[in-house]
Amino acid sequence: MISGFAEAVYKKYDKSAYELMNEALSKALDMAGIQRSDIDGFISTFMPGIFDDNVYMHFFTSQICNYLGINVKYMDSMEYGGPSVLAAYYRAEKLIKDGSADNILLLFGGKGSLVKDRKITVDSYEKINDGVTNTPYKSLLNGYDNINPVSDYALAAQRHKKIYRSTDEQRAELAVKQRINANLSGYSMFTGDLTVENVINSPVISDPLHLLEIVYPVDGFHAFIVSKSAGKLRPVKILNYGEAHFTKLPVEMDDITLLSASESSGDFREKIKKCDLYELYDSFTITVMLQLENTGIVERGKSGKFIENTDFKSNGDFPLNTGGGSINRGQPAYMSGSVLLYESLLQLNNMAKNQVKSANRAFINGIGGWSRSHSVSMIIGE
Amino acid sequence: MGLTEIYNQYEKYFKGNILPYIKCNNCNYKFYYPRDMCPECGSDNLSIEKSNGNGKIYSYTVSNKNIWAIIEMNEGFKFYANITNSGTVDINKRITITFINKNNKTLPYGEIQD
Ligand SMILES: [Zn+2]
Repeated sequence: MISGFAEAVYKKYDKSAYELMNEALSKALDMAGIQRSDIDGFISTFMPGIFDDNVYMHFFTSQICNYLGINVKYMDSMEYGGPSVLAAYYRAEKLIKDGSADNILLLFGGKGSLVKDRKITVDSYEKINDGVTNTPYKSLLNGYDNINPVSDYALAAQRHKKIYRSTDEQRAELAVKQRINANLSGYSMFTGDLTVENVINSPVISDPLHLLEIVYPVDGFHAFIVSKSAGKLRPVKILNYGEAHFTKLPVEMDDITLLSASESSGDFREKIKKCDLYELYDSFTITVMLQLENTGIVERGKSGKFIENTDFKSNGDFPLNTGGGSINRGQPAYMSGSVLLYESLLQLNNMAKNQVKSANRAFINGIGGWSRSHSVSMIIGE
Repeated sequence: MGLTEIYNQYEKYFKGNILPYIKCNNCNYKFYYPRDMCPECGSDNLSIEKSNGNGKIYSYTVSNKNIWAIIEMNEGFKFYANITNSGTVDINKRITITFINKNNKTLPYGEIQD
């Protein structure tokens, strides 16, 4: 069970990634009421550029444990992009249960600003470095003009518009409704009034996606400590879990609006509908819409209408991205999974500023990897 | 057929303004991105075929004035490419394949047929 959790997030952090991760860890240790020497398990992830501009770090988990002064008997790395932390949380619970470790630190994040300064994202790092690949077909994909991963999601959004008649206004309305939650969360980076017109009038980055429908990469780490008991926190458990990996390139799929989330959520569809709050990966507005449809919350093609007709506030009929989501928090090192988990834990522990009343079950869905390969679906609570 | 052989054949076809694809002679699956076995059935009984160069836009996006698209060819395989003419782009628009050499590399592009 999670005994401590914390974030250290800045729009642009001037010091090193090591200092930033240590800030998140120190706060999480404080909450858990344990010492650094009590940590005996470690799971993290690495992506090019996010740790102080390093394209690759040989044995990076070892380097981090060395710096932080952590001596562990178990270490691992997850490779699912954004939802990696969710998959790490599930694995940590199993490791605790089988006695492999007592206190496992999940440390996820990095410095997105350094990658952003190069005018790329972690998913387009291969464009500036010959030694980085996203696919085995680099020679047939490099040389064209696109701005992946935005273009990849834009292709899905465009197809969704054509096939299901969803509209730019519906996607904009989702951004507006998430902003309303952000204005109440107390920790969002992007706040203030936002209208559908503001979103539609913001620059088109990759048609049909506008600037205000896209996450902004920031610097930040989240630390979650998974222990035998929840300590001072509520004994939140993982009640249902699924993950799925569609490794085909979207171009080789029959339908690019069908996500791996359709499979990761497949075993507990009915339970998903009965949760008290929903934290859905919001790298882009279209990402949320596709998850609403692919996890069975709404029928395929109906997410646009659902956005129009549903109240996403904490006291609304469907509390969604109650902290404002990562579109408003800022996306730490191109991964939103920790933002979802952090807000869910605030809610379940009755610690949120934009608190859902009697929040007992949270549905979390993460999407990530190159071209949306990975999905992690989970219900956590009591 | 090894990967090197496939890539060499692709390059030769590109230079001759031909769009290649790979056909599995066991299950009939057609694909563009090279493997030395069929990703559907695992068979290595593959052949490199020539597309007739006609297809349609499956989806597209415009960024920095460039059109990036998923192109679905008549033979039944899809691949990524830019669209050369801006015209009136839309899903299901008919395209033909054209070839452009940039930085000593020839790649296929889509051209909208109005
Ligand atoms: Zn086959």
